[in-house]
This record gives sequence, C-alpha cells and structure tokens, in this order.
Amino acid sequence: MLNIKTIDDTSINERVYQLNLGPQHPSTHGVLHLLLKLDGEVVVAAEPIVGYSHRGHEKMAENRIWEQFLPNTSRIDYLSGLIYNQGYCMALEKLCGIEVPERAEYIRVITSELNRISSHLLGIMAFVMDIGAFTPFLYGFDDREHVLDLLERVTGSRLTYCYNRFGGVRNDIDQEFCDGTRRFIARLRGRFKDYHNLITENIIFIKRTRGVGIITEETALEFGVTGPSLRGSGVNYDVRKNEPYSIYPEFDFEIPVRKEGDVMARYQVRMAEMEQSMNIIEQALDNLPQGPVRSHVPRFIDPPAGDIYFAFESARGAVGYYIVSDGTRIPYRIKVRTPSFSNLFVLTRVLPGNFIADAIATLGSIDVVVPEIDR
Amino acid sequence: MNITQLPFIKEIYGFLGQDLVAAVIGILIILVFVPLNSAFLVWVERKVAGHIQLRPGPMEVGPHGILQTLIDAVKLMSKEMITPKLADKFLFWLAPIIIIIPAIVCFVVIPFSPLMQVREMNVGILLIFSFSSLTVLSILMAGWASNNKYALIGAVRAVAQNVAYEIPLLLSTMSIIIMTNSFKMSEITAAQSPVWFIVYQPVAAIIFFISTTAETNRAPFDLVEAESELVSGFHTEYTGMRFALFFLAEYTNMFIAASMGAVLFFGGWHGPFFPGLIWFVAKVYILIFVIIWVRWTFPRLRFDQLMNFAWKVMIPVALLNLMITAIVLKVL
Amino acid sequence: MPTEGQQKLLEELKNSLTRALPEGRITSGDYARTGCHLEVRLSDAGMRRIAMVMKDNRFYLETITAVDFPGSFELIYFYSTCHDDICRVIARIQILKDATPHTVSAVYPGAIWLEREIYDFFGIRFLDHPDLRRLLNPDDADYFPLLKTFGKTKLTEEIDDILC
Repeated sequence: MLNIKTIDDTSINERVYQLNLGPQHPSTHGVLHLLLKLDGEVVVAAEPIVGYSHRGHEKMAENRIWEQFLPNTSRIDYLSGLIYNQGYCMALEKLCGIEVPERAEYIRVITSELNRISSHLLGIMAFVMDIGAFTPFLYGFDDREHVLDLLERVTGSRLTYCYNRFGGVRNDIDQEFCDGTRRFIARLRGRFKDYHNLITENIIFIKRTRGVGIITEETALEFGVTGPSLRGSGVNYDVRKNEPYSIYPEFDFEIPVRKEGDVMARYQVRMAEMEQSMNIIEQALDNLPQGPVRSHVPRFIDPPAGDIYFAFESARGAVGYYIVSDGTRIPYRIKVRTPSFSNLFVLTRVLPGNFIADAIATLGSIDVVVPEIDR
Repeated sequence: MNITQLPFIKEIYGFLGQDLVAAVIGILIILVFVPLNSAFLVWVERKVAGHIQLRPGPMEVGPHGILQTLIDAVKLMSKEMITPKLADKFLFWLAPIIIIIPAIVCFVVIPFSPLMQVREMNVGILLIFSFSSLTVLSILMAGWASNNKYALIGAVRAVAQNVAYEIPLLLSTMSIIIMTNSFKMSEITAAQSPVWFIVYQPVAAIIFFISTTAETNRAPFDLVEAESELVSGFHTEYTGMRFALFFLAEYTNMFIAASMGAVLFFGGWHGPFFPGLIWFVAKVYILIFVIIWVRWTFPRLRFDQLMNFAWKVMIPVALLNLMITAIVLKVL
Repeated sequence: MPTEGQQKLLEELKNSLTRALPEGRITSGDYARTGCHLEVRLSDAGMRRIAMVMKDNRFYLETITAVDFPGSFELIYFYSTCHDDICRVIARIQILKDATPHTVSAVYPGAIWLEREIYDFFGIRFLDHPDLRRLLNPDDADYFPLLKTFGKTKLTEEIDDILC
C-alpha cells in the first residue's frame, strides 16, 4: 500500500520544524520549492512544490500550427534543446511518413550528442558546486563554451535551439565545424583526467557521495524514474539502445550502468555517458555521407488524423511526445512526457532519513531541470 | 623586547608613563592595520579564486582591481542596515560588535618582530585562545537573534564545530608549549633560533592547521555558512555595515590563526638577511594563501563527518602526539 | 518487426490482460505508425486491474494523459518495459465529462503527481487519490486550462487567416 509520508502526514512532534528550500535559493536548479520537515538535521518528510515556471506549453500547442510549436520544444528543457527538437520532428515525420536524408540524420545525431555533453557538463558541475567545490563548475563551463561556440556557428543559438525542421535540418554543417568538434573532443578527453583527479578521487567527495541518497530498483520502477538516475540503480535502460530511433543502431556505443544506486553511482554514470557520446560523435564524423540535408516537405504539413507516441532519450531520461492529430494543421493535443517530472517525485521516498546536506547532494545528483517539470 | 625601547619614544613617555603610551600607539597601529589587512585579504582571495578558476578576478576598479574592496566597503556603508521585525534587537545589534573586538584584542600579543609587540604577556597564547573562543558566542547570538531558521541551523552547527575543534587546537599547541616551557609568544619565537618547530612537530602542525581552518569556519569546514544549503548561515539577515563587520572579522581571524601558526611552527620573525618584520609578514601571508587555496579546491564535509573527524581522529592523534613529546622530553 | 522475445512477451501479456479484463478490447498496435505494441480499450474504470497486471509483469508507468473530446474525455495510460525487448502498452478509457475514475497510485506511487496534473489541467477527479490538489497552476485558480472550452488565443484567428 501507499507508504509516502505526505507533508501533512507527520505526527505532531514538537521537535519537527519546517524549512523552505527555495524557491529562491542558491542551489535549487531552477525555481524549485522543496518543503522539508526536519528534526534537527534529519529530514523527516519532503515535498517538492512545482509550478513556478508553468508557461502552458501544452495549451500553446493547441493554438499554433505544427511548425510554430518547434521553438517551444527547446524551451521545455533548455539544456537539451536540440534533442527535444529532434524528437518532435521525428515524431511528426513518423506520423506523416516523411523520409529524412541520411546526411540530415547524421547531423542530427552529432548535434544532439554535443548537446548531451554540454547538458551533462552543466548538470555534473552544478551538482559538485552544491557539494561545495566551486572550482570544477568553472572548468566545466569553460569546456561548455567550446560546445556552445561550435553549435552557435551552425544553428545560430547558444541555448534554445530551433535547428531541426520536418524532413531534416535547417542548414548544412561545414568542414570547420567538423574540425572544431574533433579538436573539442580531443581537448575534453584530456580534461577528463583533471576532473577525475580533482573530483572523483577526492576523499571528501567520496565520503559525501558514497552510500548517500540510494534509489533502489523497485522504487525507481514504481515512480517511473528514467535516465542516469535509473542506470545508476542497476537497470540497463536507454531508449537509444532499447528502442532505437534515427540512426543510433549504426553506432557502436555502450550504456554505462552502476549497481549501487547512490549519488556517486549517478555521477559516474553521467561522466561515462559523456565519453560514450564522444565516441558516437567521432564515429558519425568519420562516416558522414554527402547529400541534401532536408527533404522536400510542403510549407505547412498536413498530418493524417491519428495519434502517435514517440520516445527518445534526453540528457535526463526518457522523453515522450504523445501527439494527437485531427487532420488539420493545428495540433489537437500534444503531451510531453518529461523525465524530470518523475525523477523529482521520487525524492519524497528517498529523502526522509537523510541529513540536509545529503538532501542537497541527492537533489543535485538527480539533475532536475524545473521548466521541464512545469512546462 | 617591546616598542618602548625605540629611542625617540623614550623621551615622550618619560613623563607620561611608558605602558600607557605604548598601549595607545600600539592600538592605533592595530586599528589602522586591521581594516587594511582585511581589505587586502579580500582582494587576494578574489584574485586567487579567480586564477584558480581560470578567470582573472576583479580587474575594473584600479590597476588589477586593487581598489575593489574599498569600493565594496563604500557600497556596504551606503546600504540600509535592516533589522528583521521579530528579531531580538539588542542581540542582533550586539553580535557583529562582539565578533570583531576579540579579534582586534588578539593582535596585542603577536610578535611582529623582535621589537614590535604591543604588550608582552606571560600568558600570550592563552590570551589569544580565550579571546578567539568568543567568536562562537557572537555567532550564536547572530543566529538566534535573526529569527531565521537558516541562521539558527548555521549557528548551532558553528557552536558544535568550534567547541569540537578547540580541543585538538589546544592539544597541538600544548606540544609546543611543553617544549619551550613558556606561554610567551616572544619566547617561543626566540626558541626556534636554529631549527623551526615544524621539523620537531610535523604532526602537531598538521593538526593545528586543520583545527584553525575549522575554527575560522573556512572551507572545507564551512558548513556553518554553506552557501548551497543555508543561503548564508548565521549572517543571512545581516546587511550593510553589519555584514561588513562579519566579513572583516573572518579575515582578521584568518590573519591571527596564520600568525599563530607562523609563531608556533615556522619560526616567527626568524630568517636571514631581511628584517624580522618582513619575514613574519611573508610567512603569515603564505599561510593565508594556503588556506585560500584549500578553500577553492576541496568540497565541503558533511556535518556529521566533520564532527566524527574531530572527536574520533584528531583528538586521539593530538593526545598521542602530546604524550610522545612529553616522554621524549623527559628521556632526553 | 517484433523480435522473438517481444512476441513471447506480448502473447503472455495479452493472455494475462484478457484474463483480468474480460470486458476490455485488446488489440495489437501498429508500432511503426503509432509507437505502441499493444492497445487496451476499456469503457469503464478497470484501470487498477490493468495496473496490477502491468506491475506483476515488471512494466513501469511512463505517463498518464487525457484528451478532451466533445462529449467525453479519453484517459490514456502509457506502460513500458525496461528490458531489451521493449514493449509498449497503451491503455485508453473513455469517460464522461463528470466521471471519477479510480486512481492507480496505490499500485504505482508515481501516478500521484501524474493524476494531480490531470486534475489540474482537466478537472477530472480521481477516486481514492491521497492528495488531490492542483500541481502546476496557482492553488486558487478556478479554471482548468486544457479544456477545449477554455480561451482560445487571438493567434488562432490569425492562423486561420494565413491558412485560408
């Protein structure tokens, strides 16, 4: 039966006091309000309160034509904008039966994986800053600047991209982009040594993260947790491998999985995922075919009536677009299933019994982006 | 060995009373030195932090940003000093005052050079320890009087942490004191003439430095003001000049801790060629640089790990060190 | 093309679902077009039984959503597996505008927030839900935004002009 202590459920106890973490706080990632009930330093109950950045994307979808929803997709999760763009375009291409040229698929994969790397860099380093080490945050942002510069040359944006179109991408990449990406990958591989020295092998970091904030496999499945938070608990599930889309089957990459389920496991999964993304990008750059980057698609697409559920993997977990079309040019319903929604809710089960410092570490390790929850 | 031996002072105090003049001149110099030192240290910290983080730090105001702290002080003075409505007004007002006064008092016994020590006391080291323990009282006052849960959590942590780390601090200092048989700072410095005490007491030195980092609430022991958890800890509700006083006190405490380290382990003002003052100041600033370096490198310890470390690791090691020192001194 | 493992799983699932729900319609879905392998249609609230069958077969509840059709709501539950043989099951029920379906949060605690979101957007109340409040909109809002009767923006009129 239900075992969650909702915030009003705690029995009246004089020692228990209520602390509001957020919505304005240096460490909540976005506008998150976490209501904690504490007994001294131990968390007794936790409840996230969301909705501070609710913009109504799903209602906006019902008032626009299909093409006009593209910019919205990258603002749902601003750190994985290209990945969400790609997912939306692929969902509609599947619904309408549009073919995408091979070069466009390769470009989509390269840019999405670069986006994944930049998202992980920010997520990991912000989490490390919450633990107290301020310096790796700036090193990570230094690396991230290189990615953002590369993507800006090609897409025109640094954060909220609108690069994919139905049938391909907007414009082609050039040789300088490919060379720059290769240089960046070589540089980041060298930096990983520094990161492992500074963070992973640091005794204080290990003590703060080993055995802390454990999410068991059962809990993860009950709450619908996906992404690195799930893979850190021993479940080998990544949409790119389990339910491949685009041209991911052509690449040879692994899915890092750890069994412990603690904060350290999730951190290690994210670091290893960045290395795998670099492998994918290199393979894609080596095999990049020539050809057009966009197939011929009418200016306003006319999807047939029907519905489709399309799943793909963003930096935070499994995303899903559920699109209902009634045959007109305006969507009937678009539902975006975001991973942070389920990932955050699991904290009501995981946080009680931990110290505040561990609560912050766990919240950082789940890598939540609040606009994704609020849409 | 004090300031009154300088020639031109001798005449002035001839009819005023030597102690009074020495004290007044000494205090005036200290009162000028403390804010300047803090301002300088704030700039140093920001520059060092910047360079460690691959960025230049303040560069705008003055050459390489050296006037940055001065402008920040002006800004802080112009800010409104807000008192929360339900705060305990007297304690809220008193806390910043109590944190800075002991810090200034401790300067009285620090031997900057063979001639420059405001007052030589038989219990020099004890004076510094007792006055620096008063900071925890001020932190508790600030945390309680703010009527703010974050501040209270920070203050409670500070009390536990400071009380716990006082003990290894004292034990490691005791190892030095039983070697020199004196509490006088100047005698301890003089006793390090050929060889500095760090050679004889490396373990005590390490314990001392870890304890002072914890006593001054610097990273990795800065849970008290952990930015990502408690917004700003015990000084969350302080604004304007009151906040500036807390800041001033933190850097002054760092200076005192580093100068104690220099006196106890690194030979104080001893050194070839240059006058003693320059060596002393150099050693102190090098130690402060190490403290700053540690802050920007390591993550923060969790509170129970911090306390476990103090009670289960540091105190036994310090006691063992003290015992071994005593035995060796008795035997030799 | 479904693999052997997937086909076996689907067969087993179909059997257990048919046993649990004699009144529902279980059809194979066209994965390539709609992204689901098995579709379950109900006309009343048998959601909890489906949820229990799914949990026994180690599926996880990916999301719940609702669509506002004229005359009824359609509540849609998306289930998925984590194995290599991915298998997606979509369960739909049609409910009337003021019906109160049962909650599945006793089986899948993650549904607590998902159902709160549906209540917030559509006004659908769930029976036995432990904590039915608004999630994303302000607590004192008196509207349900995703209903089709709730405000169309001016943009739609402009779009109609463009497209005509």
